[in-house]
Amino acid sequence: MNQLTNQLMSYFKVDAFSLFIGGFALFFYLLTRVYSLSFMRGRPGITRYNAYLFLTLISSWGAIFANHLIVFLVFWGFLGLLLYLLISFGQNERVPATAQKAMIIIGGSDALMILGLALIYHLSGSLNINEIHLGTDNKLALLAFICLACGALAKAGSMPFHSWIPDTAQDAPIPVTAYLPASLDKLLGIYFLARLTLTVFKLTPGLQTVLMMVGSITIVAAVMMALIQHDLKRLLGYHAVSQVGYMVLGIGTGIPVGIAGGLFHMLNHAIYKSCLFFCAGAVEKETGTTNLDKLGGLAKTMPITFISFLVAALAISGVPPLNGFASKWMIFQGVIETAHRGGHLWVLWLLAAMIGSAFTLASFMKVVHAVFLGQASQEEERRVGIKRETKPLMWIPMVVLAFLCLLFGLFAKAIPLDKFIFPSMGYEAAFPGVWNSSIATLLLVGAVFIGFLIFLMGTIMKTRRTEAFVGGERLQDHPEMRVSGTDFYHTIQDMRGLKGIYNLAEKKQFDPYEVGIREVSRLTNVMKILHNGILPTYLAWVLLGAAILMLVLMV
Amino acid sequence: MMLVEKYLPLFVAIPLGGAFLISLLGWKKRGLPEWIGTLIPAGLFIYSLVTLWATTKHGIVVHHLGGWSPPVGILIGADGLTAFMLVIVHFVAACVALYATDYIKKYTSPWIFYVLFLIILAGMNGVLTTCDFFNLFVFMEIASLAACTLVAFGTERHELEAAFKYGVMNTMGALFILLGIALLYGYTSELNMADMANIIAAKGPGSKIVTMAGVFFLVGFGLKAALVPFHAWLPDAHPSAPAPISAILSGLIIKSLGIYALFRIFICVLGMTPLLSSIFLFMGALSMATGAIMAMGQTDFKRLLAYSSLSQVGYIVFGLALGTPLGILGGLFHLFNHSVGKSLLFLTAGSVEYATGTRKLNEMGGLSNKMPVTGTSSLAGAMSIGGIPPFGGFFSKLIIIFAAVQAGHIGYAIWAVGTGVLTLVYLMKAMKQAFRGALAERWQAVREVPMRMRLAMLILAFVCLTGGLLLIPQLKDLFLNQAAKVLIDGRMYSKIWGGF
Repeated sequence: MNQLTNQLMSYFKVDAFSLFIGGFALFFYLLTRVYSLSFMRGRPGITRYNAYLFLTLISSWGAIFANHLIVFLVFWGFLGLLLYLLISFGQNERVPATAQKAMIIIGGSDALMILGLALIYHLSGSLNINEIHLGTDNKLALLAFICLACGALAKAGSMPFHSWIPDTAQDAPIPVTAYLPASLDKLLGIYFLARLTLTVFKLTPGLQTVLMMVGSITIVAAVMMALIQHDLKRLLGYHAVSQVGYMVLGIGTGIPVGIAGGLFHMLNHAIYKSCLFFCAGAVEKETGTTNLDKLGGLAKTMPITFISFLVAALAISGVPPLNGFASKWMIFQGVIETAHRGGHLWVLWLLAAMIGSAFTLASFMKVVHAVFLGQASQEEERRVGIKRETKPLMWIPMVVLAFLCLLFGLFAKAIPLDKFIFPSMGYEAAFPGVWNSSIATLLLVGAVFIGFLIFLMGTIMKTRRTEAFVGGERLQDHPEMRVSGTDFYHTIQDMRGLKGIYNLAEKKQFDPYEVGIREVSRLTNVMKILHNGILPTYLAWVLLGAAILMLVLMV
Repeated sequence: MMLVEKYLPLFVAIPLGGAFLISLLGWKKRGLPEWIGTLIPAGLFIYSLVTLWATTKHGIVVHHLGGWSPPVGILIGADGLTAFMLVIVHFVAACVALYATDYIKKYTSPWIFYVLFLIILAGMNGVLTTCDFFNLFVFMEIASLAACTLVAFGTERHELEAAFKYGVMNTMGALFILLGIALLYGYTSELNMADMANIIAAKGPGSKIVTMAGVFFLVGFGLKAALVPFHAWLPDAHPSAPAPISAILSGLIIKSLGIYALFRIFICVLGMTPLLSSIFLFMGALSMATGAIMAMGQTDFKRLLAYSSLSQVGYIVFGLALGTPLGILGGLFHLFNHSVGKSLLFLTAGSVEYATGTRKLNEMGGLSNKMPVTGTSSLAGAMSIGGIPPFGGFFSKLIIIFAAVQAGHIGYAIWAVGTGVLTLVYLMKAMKQAFRGALAERWQAVREVPMRMRLAMLILAFVCLTGGLLLIPQLKDLFLNQAAKVLIDGRMYSKIWGGF
C-alpha cells in the first residue's frame, strides 16, 4: 500500500510555481463559489453545477501539480469536458452550439497534445517534466513544441484558437465565464506555456519571434473586435483574448523581465477580468440584459458595482497605479530588451502592445459610458424604482478583486513579484527601467490633488449648463434620442480597409473552427457522391480493391 | 484447468441449445425467450472470466473434440487472445440482451429475435474458439446469416434493401475466404490452423500460393471487418437492424469475424511481412479518415455511428498492424473500448428511437431534459470514442499514437490525431443535436426508457468511464498483456499446438 502511495506521489511535484498557480486557482474558486451562491440561486441542477465546479478545481490542481505528462494530460483534458458541462448551464438558445465549439477546440487541441507527448517521449525517453530538456532546432522537437503550445494557447484562448472565448463569455453563466475562460484557463494555459518555454524546451530566437508575433496579432486583432461589440459580455470576452496576447508576448521575449511581466500579467488579468465579469453578472442580474444599447445610467443605482468595474477597467487599460500597468510596463521592458538581439521587429511588437493598450482604454470608456454613465434607455428608466445595488454575496467578490487590483499595483514589487512571481521563476528579474510604484503613486495622488485645487480655484466651475437642443426640439421629449456610447467607434468600423476586414470577421472567415468545419463538409459532399448506395458500385470497389492488392502483393 | 478444458465447447453448444429451446418452447411462453436470451450470455460471461484465468495460468487451453486426438480430431482451444475476445463478447452481449428485454417488445415476435441473437453468439464463439480453418468459415457464415436476417428484422423497405446488400456483399467476401482456404488446403494438406502454420513456416517464405491466399483473406476478412474499400455494406446494414443488433454488429461482429480472424490468420498462421503490415497500416489509416469524414455529413443518428465504427476499426487495425508490443496493446485496448463505447452509443440511439420514434438528428433536440440517463450515458460513450480523458478511449488512442511515433510513422501519427479531432467534431454534433438545448414542442410527452434499458446503458457507461483502469499493471497483465503476447509472437500459437 505504501508502495502504491509512493508510486502515485511520484507522478506529482510541488514547487513554488505550481503552488502559486494552485493557490490562486483555489482563491478564484472560492470567490466564484461565493458569487454563485447568489447568482445561480434557483436555477435547475444547482447541485450538479456545484459538483462540476468543485471537480474543476480538483482537476486543475491535478494538472498543475502533475509532474508526469500523461497524468497532466488526463486532468487537463478532463477540464475541457467540465467546461463543456458548465457552459451547458447557460440559458439561451445558442448555448449548445457554444458548448460544442468550446469542447471541440479544446478537445481537439488536447488531441494535438497527445502527439506532442508522443514526440517528446520518442526524443527524450522520459515523460517527467523535470527530466525533459529539449532544443527546438530539429524538426521533430519543433513539431512537439508546436503541438503542446497549441494546447496551451487554446486553453488560454490566444489566436488562432480564441474563437470559443467570446462565444462562451456571451452564453455561459457569468460565474462560469469568470472562473474558467477569464481566470483559471488563463492561469493553466500560461502556466503550461511558461513550463514549456522555461524548462522543457529551449526556444530558438526564430521561435521566440513567432511567439511574439502571435502575441502581438492577438493583442491588436482581438481589441479591434472588442471595440465594435454591442454586448457587454462578448466585449469582455474579446478583451480576455486580447490580454492573452500580452502574456504570450511577455513570455515570448525570453528575457527575464518580460517573462516575469507575462506571468504577472496573467495573475493581474485573472483578477481584473473576473472582477469585470462579476460586475457584468451583477448588471445582468439586476437589469436582465447585457446589451449595451439598452443599458445606461447604472452608476446611480449600483455604486459598488460601478466603482469595482471602474477600478478593474482602469487596471485592464493599464492606467497607473493599478496592477495592469505594472505588468504591462514589465512586458514593454522585455520587448525593448529584445532589441539587442538584433533586428527591428521589436518596434512592431512594442507598437502593437501600445496600440492594444490605447484601444483597450478606448473600448472601456465606451463600456463605462454605456453601462454606468450616460442616460438610461426608456425601458430602463421605467425600471429605476426596481433596480438596486446587487446582493452582498455578489458584490463582496467584486470588491475583493478590485481591492487586489489596487494592492498589486501599489505594492507590485513587494507583494506579487517578490512573493509569487520571482520564486516561481527561480530567479529575480532585473528592472532596466525605473518604476517605483510607491513614489509614482504619491506623485499621482499629488497630481490629482493639484488638479482638484485648480478645479476649485479656476474658472472651470463657472461652466454653463444648459438643456440639450436638437434642431428646435427638446431632447427630453424624445427619450430615444440619447447617446448610448455603443456607437463611439463606428468611424473605425467604417474606415476604408478596416471595413472589409470587419465584415469578413463578422462572417467568421477568420475563425479556424468555422472555416475548418466548412472545408471538411465540402470534402464530405465529394465523398458522398462516391457512396451512392448502388450495390454494383460497391461490388466494383471490392473487385477493384482485390485487384490492387493482388497487384501490390503478387507482382 | 481440466474443467475449463472439458467444457470449452459449451461456448458454442449453450447458445445453440438456447436458440433451439426458444424456438421449441419460447413462442408459446411469454417472457421465456427474454430470460434465456439474457441468462445465457451472462452465464457465459462468468465462464469466459474463468477461461481468462485459466489461460493466464497455463497459456493455453485445448479441448479435443469427441476425445479424438489430432490429426484425426478437431481441436477447440483458447489462448490469451481468444479469452480476451470471449470476455468482451459476453460482457457486451449480456448488456445488450438485458437492454433488448424491454426494447424488443415493440416488435411482433421477440422470440425470433432471441433465437437469431443466440445463433450469432454461437457463431462468434465458434470463430473465436475453433482451431480448424474450415470450422472457422462455417461459424463465420452462421453468424453472418443470422445477422443478415436480423438486419431485415423490421421488414421495412430500407431494412430489406440493407439486408440484401449485406447478404450479397458478405457472400462475396465468404467466397474469397473459401477460395483462400482451398488454396491453403491444397498447399499444406491440412486444415488445423496451428499445424498449417508449422507447414507454411517449414516450407519457407515466398510461396505464390500463400501470398495469393493472403490476398483473398485480405479481401474476405477485410470485408467482414469493413475496411475501406470493402466497407460499403456497413453504413446501410448497421443502422437498419434493431438497436441491440446494431450494437452487436458494430461492437462485436466486425471485430470477432473481421479483426480477430484477420490478425489471427495473418500473424499466427501466414506470418506477417513488412509489405503486408504497411498495407494494413495504409488501409487502417484510409478507413479512419473515410469513416470520420463521412460521419460528419450524416443526419441519421445510427448511420453516423455506423460510419464512426468504420473509422474506429481503422484505428484498431492501424494499432495492431504497427506490430510493436505497444501498438498491439493499443489496438487491442482500443478494440475493447470501442466495443463497449460503440455498443453503448447504439443502445442510446435505440433509446432515443424508442422514445421518439425517429433517428433523424435534426428533428431531435433537448432530449436530455426528459431522458437524463440516456443523455448522460450517451455522452459517456461519445467521450470514450472521442478520446477525452479520463474515459477509456483516451488511453487507447494515446497508446496507438505513442506507438505510431515510436515506430517512426510520424505522418500516420499526425493523420490519426487529425482524425481524432474529426471524431470529436461529429460526436459532439450528434450530442448537441440530440440531447442538448431546449426541448422541442413535439417532444414534450417523451419519457425516459424503461428500467432494464437504463440499467444496461448505465453499466456500459460505467465501463466506458473506468475503462482506463485496465491499464493498471496487475489488471493489464491479466487481460491485455495475455492477448497482446499472442499477437506479438505469432509463432507461439503453432509451437504449442503443433506438438501433438
